Amino acid sequence: MNVSAEVGVSGDRPDGPADVLIIGAGASGGVVARRLAEAGIRVVCLEQGAWHDRTEYRGAELDWELTARRQWSSSPNIRALPEDYPVDDERSDVSPLMFAGVGGSMILFAGAWPRMLPSDFRVRSLDGVADDWPLTYEDLRPYYERSDRQIGVSGLGGDPAYPPGEDPPLPPLPIGAGGLRVARAHSRLGWHWWPEPNAILSAPYDGRNRCVQRGTCMQGCGEGAKASTDLTHWPRAIAHGATLITGARVSRIETNSAGLATGAHWIDGAGTEHFQRANAVVVAANGIGTPRLLLMSSSEAHPDGLANSSGLVGRRLMMHPFANVTGLFDEQLESWQGHFGCSIESFEFYETDERRGFVRGAKWGLAPTGGPVNAALPSRAGAQVWGADHHLHVRSRLGHGASWGLFGEDLPDEENRVTLSATATDSSGLAAPELQYSVSENSRRMLDFHIEKASESLTEAGAHTIEVDRLMRYSGWHLLGTARMGTDPTTSVVDEWNRAHDVPNLFVVDGSCFVTSGGVNPTSTICALALRAADRMVERRHDQPVVW
Amino acid sequence: MNEISDEPPAAFAALADALVPAAHGMPAASTVVDGNRLAFVVQARPDLADPLAAIVAMPMFDDPATRLDELAAQHPELLAALHLVVVAGYYSDPHVRTLIGYPGQIVRPVSALDYPAYLDEGLLDRVIERGPIWRDPTATGHDSA
Ligand SMILES: Cc1cc2nc3c(=O)[nH]c(=O)nc-3n(C[C@H](O)[C@H](O)[C@H](O)COP(=O)(O)OP(=O)(O)OC[C@H]3O[C@@H](n4cnc5c(N)ncnc54)[C@H](O)[C@@H]3O)c2cc1C
Ligand code: SF4
Repeated sequence: MNVSAEVGVSGDRPDGPADVLIIGAGASGGVVARRLAEAGIRVVCLEQGAWHDRTEYRGAELDWELTARRQWSSSPNIRALPEDYPVDDERSDVSPLMFAGVGGSMILFAGAWPRMLPSDFRVRSLDGVADDWPLTYEDLRPYYERSDRQIGVSGLGGDPAYPPGEDPPLPPLPIGAGGLRVARAHSRLGWHWWPEPNAILSAPYDGRNRCVQRGTCMQGCGEGAKASTDLTHWPRAIAHGATLITGARVSRIETNSAGLATGAHWIDGAGTEHFQRANAVVVAANGIGTPRLLLMSSSEAHPDGLANSSGLVGRRLMMHPFANVTGLFDEQLESWQGHFGCSIESFEFYETDERRGFVRGAKWGLAPTGGPVNAALPSRAGAQVWGADHHLHVRSRLGHGASWGLFGEDLPDEENRVTLSATATDSSGLAAPELQYSVSENSRRMLDFHIEKASESLTEAGAHTIEVDRLMRYSGWHLLGTARMGTDPTTSVVDEWNRAHDVPNLFVVDGSCFVTSGGVNPTSTICALALRAADRMVERRHDQPVVW
Repeated sequence: MNEISDEPPAAFAALADALVPAAHGMPAASTVVDGNRLAFVVQARPDLADPLAAIVAMPMFDDPATRLDELAAQHPELLAALHLVVVAGYYSDPHVRTLIGYPGQIVRPVSALDYPAYLDEGLLDRVIERGPIWRDPTATGHDSA
C-alpha cells in the first residue's frame, strides 16, 4: 500500500507551474498558504495525508479511549497508517509524535497556545548558552497578535509573565475545579499562575463553534472549536485560488544548474510518480519531515542534502523533554472533562536562576486526567492495581486528578539529530527518518527541580498523593531546530526570513527553523514565524527569481 | 475472533476476574464483559483480536494469578492487550459507569460571558500586584520586575 488511498484535489488543478509550492498542509503550511493566496500568489500544496472530516473523530463515542490508543494515537509508529512515515526512534530517549493530514499535527494537538518569552530569543546574551535568535520578541509580537486573531485564541490579557500587548481575541476558557484548587494554592504561595491561552474557542468565532469541554481534544475536535489549519486557514486559501493535493507524498525537491529549486517529485497512492513545477518551494513538513526531505533531496550539486552546506540539516533536534506530576485529591474534580489544552499555567520558575544548578526553565501547564480506561490502566508514573483493590484504585483517581505538565527548555546539541534510516522505509519505499536524541544534563537537572516544585504546588493544593513521571517517553510533541535560522550561512540553514542560504527560492517555515526551543509549547511561535516569512515573500515577490 | 466475542471462553473469564473481581460493591469483570462488550472492543480495535485469541488459546491452567505473572514476565505485550480488553469492556458498561459515578464525556458548552469566579475571589490579585516577572533582555541582565 502507498501513501493514503486516494489523491484529493481541493481547488483547481494547476496546469502550469505554481508560483509557490508548499510541502505539508499542517500548521505552518496552512499559515503561509493563506497569506500568499490572499495576496494573489498561485499556491499549490502537496500533503501526504488526507483531509479529515470532523465526523471521523471519536471523542463523542464510547470507543474514544480505545481508538485513542491506536487509530488516533499521536505516534506515527503506533498508528502506522499508509500516509504516516515510521520513525526509527530506538536511539532516542523520547518518541516523536505527529499527525499526517490537512491541519497537520494540530489535528491532535492539545491547543495550548503560549508564546515564547523575550528572554527565549536571547539565551546566548543572557545565559551564555546556545545562540541568540536573529529576531526579538518585539519583532515577532505583531505576528503573534495577527496569528492569534486568525486562530481564535481564548485567554486573559495582562499576564505579568509577558510584556504588555493586545489581549487575546476571546475571553478565557473555564479553569475547572482542579484549576481552581491549584490557583488558590498558588495565590497562597505567592506563585505565578494565569489562565492558559488556548487555540480553542470560548465563544462562536469566524463561523466555528465554541468548546463543549468534552476533553477529547487530543483525538481531534468534533466541534471544530479547537483550531487547526484545515478549519482556520485552508478554506480561505482555497477560496483565494490555492490548490491543495492530498495523498501526495513528496520524495525530493529538484534543483537546476543555476542552483534554484524547480519543484518537487511526488508519489500518489498507486505508486505513480508526478512532478510539480514551481518558481519557489516552501517546506512545511515539521521538524522531522523537513530535514528528512532535504536529506532525501541530495544530488551531485548537493551531496549532503539540499540547503546543507552548513552541515546542520537534521542536527540540533529539540523535543522538550517532558515530566508529569499528578496530584490526587479527595474531592471529585470531574477531571475527565475540560479542554485538554492547559487550564492554567505557571511561569514562576521560568527564568534562569543559576543557584538551581542549571540554566533556563520550564513552563507548567495543568491538564485534565482522562476517562475510566485511563484511570484503570497503569498510570504515566506506572501505578497499577489489580485484584479487589482495583476498584478503590479507580475510584481514587477517576476525576480526582490534576496534572502539571512540565516543558523544559531543551538546549540545542548537534548530536541530537535526524538522519535517513539505512533500512526502514515508508509505504512509498522512501527512507524513514532515524533519530538520535538524548536528554542533556541541564534538562535532567531542570526537570528534577521543577518536579519538586510542582509537587509542592499540588501538595499545597491539597493532594493526598503525588505521582511523578520523570521523563515521559511518548512526549515528542514539539519537533524543533533541525534547519535553524541565523544570519551566518556557515552556522545556519535559513536566514532570518526563513529563506535557505544555499537556495534562494527555497524556504523552511515549520518548527525546524527554531534557533532554540524556549520552554513553552511552540505552535503559536511556529505560526507567527510562518506569517512573518509569508509577509516577506509577498513584499519581495517581484525580486524572486523566476525558474519557469 | 468471532468465537471469543460470541461467548467469552472460560479462560478469558478467569483471567478477567483475577484482574477485576467482584469487590467493594462492584461486579466481577466476567459478569460484565460478555460477548457484546467483547464485540464492542474488538470492533473498535480489530488489532486486539489476535492477542486475545493467543491468550485464550494457551494451554489450560488452574491458577489465573500464575498465568498473569507468566504473561507479565514472558509476554508483556499480550498482558497489556488483555488489560485493555478487560477495562475497555468493563468501563463501557452503563451499569458500571453508574456505579463509579462517571457519566461519560458530556457536552458542557462554555459560557464565555460568565465572569470568572477566580477573578471575583481575587486569586489573581497577588500575581498582578507583584508586577512583571519576565526577564527583559534589553535591561542588561536585570529582570523587569
Ligand atoms: C498530540 C500532540 C499534542 C500537541 N499539543 C500541542 C499544544 O498543546 N500546543 C502546542 O503549541 N503544540 C502542540 N503540539 C505540537 C504542534 O502540533 C506542532 O508544533 C505543529 O503542528 C507543528 O507545525 P508544523 O507546521 O511544523 O508541522 P505539522 O503540523 O506536523 O505539519 C507537517 C505536515 O507535513 C506533512 N508532510 C511531511 N512530510 C511530507 C512529505 N514528504 N510529503 C508531503 N507531506 C508531508 C505531514 O503529513 C503534515 O501534515 C502537539 C502535537 C501533538 C502530536
Ligand atoms: S474540549 Fe473543546 S476543544 Fe477539546 S475536543 Fe471538546 S469541544 Fe473540542
